[in-house]
Amino acid sequence: MPRSLRVRLLLGAAIAIFLALAAAWVAMTLLFERHIERRIEADLVREGLQLAAALSIAPDGAPALEQQPGDARFFEPASGLYWQVSTPAGIVSSRSLWDQHLPRAGDADSLQWKPRVIDGPFNQPLLVVERFIRPEHAGSDVLIQLGHEQESLDEASEEFGEELAVFLALLWLILAAAAWVQVELGLRPLRHIRDQVATLKRNPRQRMAAAHVAEIEPLTLAINELADARERDLSRARRRAADLAHGLKTPLAALSAQSRRAREAGATDAADGLDRAIGAATSAIEGELARSRAAAIRAAPGGDSTIALPVIESLVGVVEQTEFGARLVFEVNIPDALQVPVASEDLLEIVGALIENAARFARRRVRITGEPSGAGVLIVEDDGPGIGPEKIAEVLLRGGRLDEAGSGHGLGLAIANDLVDATRGEITLLRSELGGLKVIVAWRGDASPADNA
Amino acid sequence: MRALVIEDEDTVAQDVAQALGSAGFVVDIAHEGEDAWYKGSVEDYDVAVLDLGLPRIDGLSVLKRWRAAQRIFPVLILSARNDWTEKVAGIEAGADDYLGKPFEMGELIARVRGLVRRAAGRASSTIEVGPLLLDTHRMSATYAGRPIRLSQLEFRFLDYLAHQSGRAVSAGELAEHLYGADEPGDSNAIEALVVRLRRKIGPQVIETRRGFGYLLAGDG
Repeated sequence: MPRSLRVRLLLGAAIAIFLALAAAWVAMTLLFERHIERRIEADLVREGLQLAAALSIAPDGAPALEQQPGDARFFEPASGLYWQVSTPAGIVSSRSLWDQHLPRAGDADSLQWKPRVIDGPFNQPLLVVERFIRPEHAGSDVLIQLGHEQESLDEASEEFGEELAVFLALLWLILAAAAWVQVELGLRPLRHIRDQVATLKRNPRQRMAAAHVAEIEPLTLAINELADARERDLSRARRRAADLAHGLKTPLAALSAQSRRAREAGATDAADGLDRAIGAATSAIEGELARSRAAAIRAAPGGDSTIALPVIESLVGVVEQTEFGARLVFEVNIPDALQVPVASEDLLEIVGALIENAARFARRRVRITGEPSGAGVLIVEDDGPGIGPEKIAEVLLRGGRLDEAGSGHGLGLAIANDLVDATRGEITLLRSELGGLKVIVAWRGDASPADNA
Repeated sequence: MRALVIEDEDTVAQDVAQALGSAGFVVDIAHEGEDAWYKGSVEDYDVAVLDLGLPRIDGLSVLKRWRAAQRIFPVLILSARNDWTEKVAGIEAGADDYLGKPFEMGELIARVRGLVRRAAGRASSTIEVGPLLLDTHRMSATYAGRPIRLSQLEFRFLDYLAHQSGRAVSAGELAEHLYGADEPGDSNAIEALVVRLRRKIGPQVIETRRGFGYLLAGDG
């Protein structure tokens, strides 16, 4: 069985049409043959009736004809058209029979015209109609026989069969072509679906357009439902992770209140222990939240695009309010139309972490630059102390050194690195001309979802 | 000094209230959104500490209602939802600062004090220079009636220029005012600040007098 549906349908149609036309050929040839035979039988019977009308029986019982049938072929020897009237007392026959005779009737008693095919005289197969008649004054039955050679009939039906075959072959070609057109038209909605599923794969938020074809509609609906379910699962997973964090953080805040009370009551060691545990739990939660966000991005095959400037302006608006940000100048040099291949909420997390980190270490200035090279480049730099090249690998390490004391480039960079990696980008750390750290986030231009496994 | 603490988890609410009390605040507590909204609407607080995940009305809606009703006391959001989407939504709804849970009580107190210091101790007055209107109480500005959101540094820059009665001020003097006399002058930072403000407000808001410095347009 061929794998292609098109080939299958075409093969099936071609074979079915061929079989139907072949059956039609056989049936039509048979019908044609019988039709000519009947015509000839009818002609022969008519001639036979004229013979019977002209028939007289001599007193000795021999047949005699007052008038012979007029067809010229009855007078030409071996012409293929014969008549013969016979009684036990004698036989009269057409001149065309010459010295031959038609054999006696098979059915001796029939008073009806009966056709049969015999091996006739002159080695000709003959179509014969014959009957007995019983004249009133005659002593015995009279057998009337008329014959027509079979060969011309066979030739005619053979010719007919050939011509019909040519015509049916042409018809087969036309019908096969029509079937091909039908298959192409029928499969077109499927190709359309394939294209749409491909875009759906690239962007999980995309949905398939409503199908024009009623038979395809359930399929597109089912695919859309599947996509909806997948997206729901994804956002439910994110929501649950966030809920889990929320659920844990408030008890942690309460625990930290207990720790303060313990400290006030003089239990310094216990309070220290509690604080360490709270710190570790907080780091674990933040790390896990970041990881689940990164995993959600990886599971969703991308296709998002966000105009960078408004997102970054709103982030700067937040950081400007913070203790670190309030004393800084933020230079934002991003083209209005610059787009980056990241969903806006993910861009917020990535650049938010980077700007906050830069603001924490900057002396006076934080510069955020955007470039349209590749699929988009964002650069965040500050005029702070920067970090040494030997520390770079360490701070980018996922879940690496955590920013417990609020000093040192820590969790923020690691989280950003994880998210950038998930969105098929790359972070590079350099020394900025401003003096501090320069973080370059570059997204690759060849972002195809297929190999984003 | 009056503070309103809105937090549905009682242990945390009591703890914050106690710490603020020790820092000299008279503290009211609300455990759910409706109560918080009511208290914030009828009482005059100097600062509010607002949790976002609240029963009845969520914290963000409470904040928006206050701001819509011109309740302008500083608000610090205290939330377990510590991602940037939430922070941006909070600040854009009118919050003045954002702190994620769990938090260091020392940091919370420091930030609350910072917010109060920023808002209080200033006469509720406005300075008008051309189309620019500075509100020294809210540390906010409007330009030709359009509200402009300014950082503390940006506000201080404009405020200083507005008080110079049309005198052009050099970058060095501005740096000294903004960063302190002991810090070395940094004209690059001042230049960047001017670029940023022109972008935020409009290119014509600050004029450059070559060789002299900067002044506000319409003040010359």
